Amino acid sequence: MSEFEEIVRAEGLKKTFTLSRKQQKIEKTGEKSRIAVNGLSFSAYRGEIYGLLGPNGAGKTTTLRMLSTLIRPDAGDATVNGFSVVKQPEKVRDSIGFMTSELKLEGFFTPDYLFDFFGAMHGVGKEALAQRKRELFSRFGIDRFAQVQVKDLSTGMLQKVSLVISIVHDPAVVIFDEPTNGLDVLTAKVVTDFLLELKEMGKSILLSTHIFSLVEKLCDRVGIIIDGKMAREGTLAEVANGDLEKSFFEIYHEIKGEFV
Amino acid sequence: MKLFALIKKEFHRFFHDRRLIITMLLPGIIIFLLYTVLGEAIHTEPTKYDYKVYVDGGSSLTSVIQSAVEKSGNTVEWIPLEDMEAARKEVEEGEATAILSFTEDFDRFGENGADPADFAVSIVYDPMDEAGSGFYSLSLAVLQNVGMKFSVHSEPLASEESIGREVMQQILPFIIVCFVFSACMSVTLESVAGEKERGTLATILVTSAKRSHIALGKVVPLACISMLGALSSFLGVVLSMPKLMGLSVGMLGGYSFGAYVLIFLLILSFVPLIVSLISTISTASRSVKEASAYTSVLMIFVMIFSLVAAFVPAIGDWVVAIPILNAVVSMQGLLAGALPVWQSLVSVGANLVYTAGLVFLMTRMLSSEKVMFGK
Repeated sequence: MSEFEEIVRAEGLKKTFTLSRKQQKIEKTGEKSRIAVNGLSFSAYRGEIYGLLGPNGAGKTTTLRMLSTLIRPDAGDATVNGFSVVKQPEKVRDSIGFMTSELKLEGFFTPDYLFDFFGAMHGVGKEALAQRKRELFSRFGIDRFAQVQVKDLSTGMLQKVSLVISIVHDPAVVIFDEPTNGLDVLTAKVVTDFLLELKEMGKSILLSTHIFSLVEKLCDRVGIIIDGKMAREGTLAEVANGDLEKSFFEIYHEIKGEFV
Repeated sequence: MKLFALIKKEFHRFFHDRRLIITMLLPGIIIFLLYTVLGEAIHTEPTKYDYKVYVDGGSSLTSVIQSAVEKSGNTVEWIPLEDMEAARKEVEEGEATAILSFTEDFDRFGENGADPADFAVSIVYDPMDEAGSGFYSLSLAVLQNVGMKFSVHSEPLASEESIGREVMQQILPFIIVCFVFSACMSVTLESVAGEKERGTLATILVTSAKRSHIALGKVVPLACISMLGALSSFLGVVLSMPKLMGLSVGMLGGYSFGAYVLIFLLILSFVPLIVSLISTISTASRSVKEASAYTSVLMIFVMIFSLVAAFVPAIGDWVVAIPILNAVVSMQGLLAGALPVWQSLVSVGANLVYTAGLVFLMTRMLSSEKVMFGK
């Protein structure tokens, strides 16, 4: 295994959305469609945390949705753990753990039940599943709450349960859309600690965010997306030159020709 | 394994939630209690009767019957029969209790060498009239007690029963469809549109489970659960309806085993059809509210369909191609005493084909980003 083994490789990803009349009216535009991602290419390496940084509407979430096979690219392709998101979506889904605030757990069930259910959904064998449940529940302090209904869990514990369930099948890649968005400081810490823990466990992590400090704290490499295109990509040192926020706005000005 | 886990999850969700079980079974129990109480209130009659019975021919057995009647706390007035037609009319209208006719020299039935075939007694009565059926049961018991020395012919006047049966045959399929629909609605909307609205369905879509398995994982268990709810309501109606209409429960036993099997098969075919229909609508909808609005409109259509079928006298064979309506018409035929085997089986087949089509459509919708993630 080489030091820079590509675990995620996106090549010319493109996605266009049709705008409804209502959306056109809200955004005061006559455009009938909008390009969300426009020929995006990048690579993330095994064992690293790769961050997609960009303002709202830059195409980060759309990119992650294409990589997790929830939506299909109009053009281009990407491989995740060697599988094509266009041709082998089911294999890709077995290789990833996808976390986003839009994906929820049914409040009626217990963490114990949901862990087993999602394990079965990924085809994990019973014995392997039981062992993994013991390990993960104990490592993240869920074991005491294993039989409590999800709706009765605290926000922090619920977040932990969601995170653990997303990696029930021991995926090679964890994709995380805006990991700390809308979370209070304590729950946000649970998430960032979890991501560092996953990195220690040898997982490859791809996350999207618009928070500079999060990238500086977690990411090995970063790709800056503006208007659906990759504006800059590299290690933090290569991209940021010591001050990520300042560098980002310089790049933004360079591309958009305007100051924020 | 994935399909099994999906099916198991739906069952677990339902059978571990006491509120859901109660909500599903309660309508049947309430219907039964309500209709029964209502029926009792409408049809309660005094328990003592003054029987007025026409007698044709004569027999000493009338005095035996009379003493049995008096022992049971009732009285009987014997009236010699003069005009059979007029007497039958009186029985039909409830003015007379029964007509008892003995063959000539009936009392010689006990003599040595008498041929039982030469002696007969016939009882004309109205089974819907409690006095009539009471007198008939008592007389029959007395006559049978004498032994097999003569034959007994009973002739129930079935006018009211026919009306009752006709009402049942027209209304029951409609009621069944309504209850099945509401049972399906209550579980399916919450399970499919609810899961989509809450984002828990998307969590399943991120797994490697096939979309067709996710669709089947909803339709199969929800159809089974809906069947339970529909069965509860159906039993509530079937067991209480005769009471409400003043009919005997026994008249429901007048159908053949084959008719019951076909009715069961018809219900079995349109429950998954309705579940898959509501599931597809729920998948296309953005919220439970939106899905229930569409489904309510659909329910009105289905109800009109079922009612139209009850009042249109002769619908052609083409009806087997129309989902749900085919089952309603077939059930009406079965309840009318006919056995439309071909029509029923083709209807069952057609409904299953439509169900498969809807599951396929739902699978496509689950794969569609516009449907699942469109704003």
